[in-house]
Amino acid sequence: MGILDNPVSKERLLNVELPAIQAYNNQRDSEYRVTVEPKGGELHLKYRLKPAHNCYELLTILSESYPVVAPTTRVLTKLQQCPHLLYQQTLCLWKQGSRLADSRWDPARFTTVFAIQAAWRWLACYEIWMVEKAWPMPEAR
Amino acid sequence: MAVLDLIGRDSRIDTILLIEPDVYKPHNVARHYFPAGRCGEKKAELAAEWLRERRPELKVELLAGDLCDSNNSDLVESMVARADAGVCAVDNDRAKSHWDWLMRRHSKPWTLGEVLAGGIGGFVHMFVPRGPCFACVMSQLQREVRVDDSPPPDYSAPGNSVPEASIPASISSVHAIASLHALATLALLGDEDGRGWDATSQLIPLRGVPNIFDKALSTVRLPFRRLPDCLNCSPGKGPEGDLMDALMILNQEAGR
Repeated sequence: MGILDNPVSKERLLNVELPAIQAYNNQRDSEYRVTVEPKGGELHLKYRLKPAHNCYELLTILSESYPVVAPTTRVLTKLQQCPHLLYQQTLCLWKQGSRLADSRWDPARFTTVFAIQAAWRWLACYEIWMVEKAWPMPEAR
Repeated sequence: MAVLDLIGRDSRIDTILLIEPDVYKPHNVARHYFPAGRCGEKKAELAAEWLRERRPELKVELLAGDLCDSNNSDLVESMVARADAGVCAVDNDRAKSHWDWLMRRHSKPWTLGEVLAGGIGGFVHMFVPRGPCFACVMSQLQREVRVDDSPPPDYSAPGNSVPEASIPASISSVHAIASLHALATLALLGDEDGRGWDATSQLIPLRGVPNIFDKALSTVRLPFRRLPDCLNCSPGKGPEGDLMDALMILNQEAGR
C-alpha cells in the first residue's frame, strides 16, 4: 500500500501539504519551484535550493506512513563528506529515534515546506562548514 | 491481549470488534495467555476463542488484517461506525495515527495504553470527540514530558544498519498499564466507573529512574489541550477533488 492509497495521508496531502507547496511555489522563480511525483508508493518532491552561492538539487521523499514518519531529504548534488550527513547523502534533520515521542519531527506542526526549509538551513550550515570546517550549530546532535 | 481480556470480562460489554493482523509467534509466549503449542495461528482467532470460553454470550467479530490496509477500509469503517468506543493497544505510531483518524471521523471516544521501554512506566490516554487528537498529544508530549534519557543513536552507522536498542517490558509492567487502560476504557461507559475520569493523559511511573522518575507510582496527570493550529485535526480546507488531479495542477503551475 502506498501513500496515495492511505486515506489519512490523502486527506493530509489535499488539505495541508499541497496548498503549502503551492504557496511556496507561488513565491519563487520557476527554477526553484517544487514538483511532486508519485513513485513506488511514495511521493517524491524535487526542487533546488540556493542558500548562498551554490545551487543544490534535492529530493524529499514522503513515505506511505507520512506524516507520522518524517520525510527524508537527500541532496542529489555531490557533497563532501561532512557531519550530519547519512547514507546516500541523506540529511540528518530530526531522526532522534524511530518513535514519534523520540523524534524532532512533529506532524501536528510541520509540513513538507518545513522540511524544505530545514534542508535549506542544513545546506547553509554546510556552506559554512566548507569554509570553517566546524558545524555552525553546536547543539545539533 | 491483557486489556482485551480485562474489558471482555465486563458484563456491560456485549460485542467486541477486534482488528489484529499478527500471527502468534514463539517470542510472544512469555507475555501472552496462549500456550506455545498455538504458535503459527492468528492472534485474532486465539483471542476470540479465549473470550468465548469465558463469556459464551459475548459477540466477537474479527478482522485478522492490517488496520491501515486500504483493502480492509470498508470493513474497518463499518466496524468503527457500529462501535461505542475504541481501544488501541498497538505499538506502532502509524496504526495509532490511523486509529485516531478513524475515531475522529466517526466521532467516537477512545483510549490508548503505551508501555515505555524496559517497563519503567507507561501512558494511559483518553481521547474524546473535539478534544486533542493523537498528534496534538504527541506534539505536547515531545516537549513537555521527558521519558527517555538515552543517548542519541549512532549516526556513524547510518541507514539503520544497527537496530535501535529496545528493552522489552516485563509482563507485570504490561499488565499494570493494561489494567489502568481497561479502567479508562470502562470509564467511557459512564455511570460509576466514569467518576473522576476525564479526557486526558496519565503518565504512570512503575519504578524510579534517575533524572526521569523520582518514585514509582507517582502518577502525573497531563491535561493536554487541543492545539488550535494542529495540522492533523484543524486543517484548512484544501483543493476539492482527486489527489492525482491536484498533483497534476501543482506540477503544471510549477512550470518545470
